[in-house]
Amino acid sequence: MTPTPPSCRAIEADLVATATGEAAAGAARRVDEHARDCASCREELARYRAIDSLARGLRGDAPAAAELAASRAALQRRLADVRSRVLRYGIVPSPLGNILVARSEHGVTMVEYLGDATTLAASRLRELADVETVEDSAEIARLRDELLDFLAGRRRELGWRLDLRLAGSDFRRAVLEAARGIPYGAVTSYAALARRVGKPGAERAVAQALRWNPLPIVVPCHRIVGSSGKLTGYAGDKLGLKRQLLEVEGVRTTTAARDFRVARERMYVRAGDDRAYCLPTCGDLPSSSLANLTLIASRDVVAALGLEPCSDCRPDLHPLAG
Amino acid sequence: MGLASFDEVVAAHHPEIYRYLRRLTWRASGADDLVQETFLRAYRAWPTLSADANVRAWLFAIATNLARNHFRSEARRRRAYVAAGEGSAGSEPAGPEEEHVLRETRELLDRVVAALPLKQRLAFTLRKVHDLEYDAIAESLECSPDSARAHVFQALKKIRVSLNGHALPMERTR
Repeated sequence: MTPTPPSCRAIEADLVATATGEAAAGAARRVDEHARDCASCREELARYRAIDSLARGLRGDAPAAAELAASRAALQRRLADVRSRVLRYGIVPSPLGNILVARSEHGVTMVEYLGDATTLAASRLRELADVETVEDSAEIARLRDELLDFLAGRRRELGWRLDLRLAGSDFRRAVLEAARGIPYGAVTSYAALARRVGKPGAERAVAQALRWNPLPIVVPCHRIVGSSGKLTGYAGDKLGLKRQLLEVEGVRTTTAARDFRVARERMYVRAGDDRAYCLPTCGDLPSSSLANLTLIASRDVVAALGLEPCSDCRPDLHPLAG
Repeated sequence: MGLASFDEVVAAHHPEIYRYLRRLTWRASGADDLVQETFLRAYRAWPTLSADANVRAWLFAIATNLARNHFRSEARRRRAYVAAGEGSAGSEPAGPEEEHVLRETRELLDRVVAALPLKQRLAFTLRKVHDLEYDAIAESLECSPDSARAHVFQALKKIRVSLNGHALPMERTR
């Protein structure tokens, strides 16, 4: 076997790079100059160029269109399945403690009070079947800002698109949708809500549905109280949070021992779906159950609802008791 | 980046990622599983990807990583090698003599590439078939760009040796 001459060895390392067009200009020039006078390196260069060309020819190979389409269709099916299960969540520190916000591609799916906890370990999300969680603070950032504005009283609406998949049943879904319609700064009762979903007398079932409200704050179940005006339950034992939320909205409450109540004597009143609103002292209202009444914190809210002042008590002329 | 734009990612890159994995596995069914897994992983990680990331290079890196795991099994490597011989045979219609030679040489190339050490095979395929930059290949193979380049050159040298004595389409080169 003939030993490789030193001049061939000197350019050996750059020969492949030159053949494939990847050598630096100086190296390529040296190789080309050497190959001009060296038949074996010239042939070697040509073979590498041929191999490179052959390899690049593979770029033209394409799978059959039907095969590609079948792969794409199978991928879309799997993606659709995963996408329907993935919930992206973030944990938002707030004046009401840490709040988990989770959303699917269809909308916000869950708002959950975590108290001092800072991880998913404390969340109900972990117990849900058919849910895949992905932490995603960036996705939740806009929701976080709006939520904090709301809790600070700088925003009155959370017009989020909701995904009510965790509601549990059609009835509960209907209750959540009806509760969402209760305006900012207004308070109504479980009994009134039961009537609104077409189940008069079903206030216990309504209360139970709201007890499992997967979307507190955004579905404002804090605006719903007992027919006596008592705040009753909220998110388990978090009655203090209910009171805080109501006060952010200008709804005043009274406390006696552990008994929180809406200060109904300091709120306007709307009976049923009347277009008029009254002073709390109007007619029989002071002694009426809240079953068919809505309490309203301020004239702003009254104006937003487009209500007219009652011609008997003239709430537009008389201020509420301080 | 919104989730809606992930649909665009699938539309833009599925054909190429499929082609890549199809060439590595030489079997539609094997490629399908890897393609699905690539895009599912990408979907989950999509929100954490920076806005200026090279999405194509990122997808190739995910696909390559999955392919490497897939080929940890010797049996799978062997199956791909056997399929490479079968898969390319008769893939083009018969033509003039020159085309016949070219086809045979390509088939041989497919088999030689399928027999390369995995990193060389991946680097070669990413560079020569998919024209990725060495930075992107390095990201895929978790090595330096210089190592990525060395893998490609090693692959070319082995191919050169394996094709020794076989007619190459020299007149088609520069």
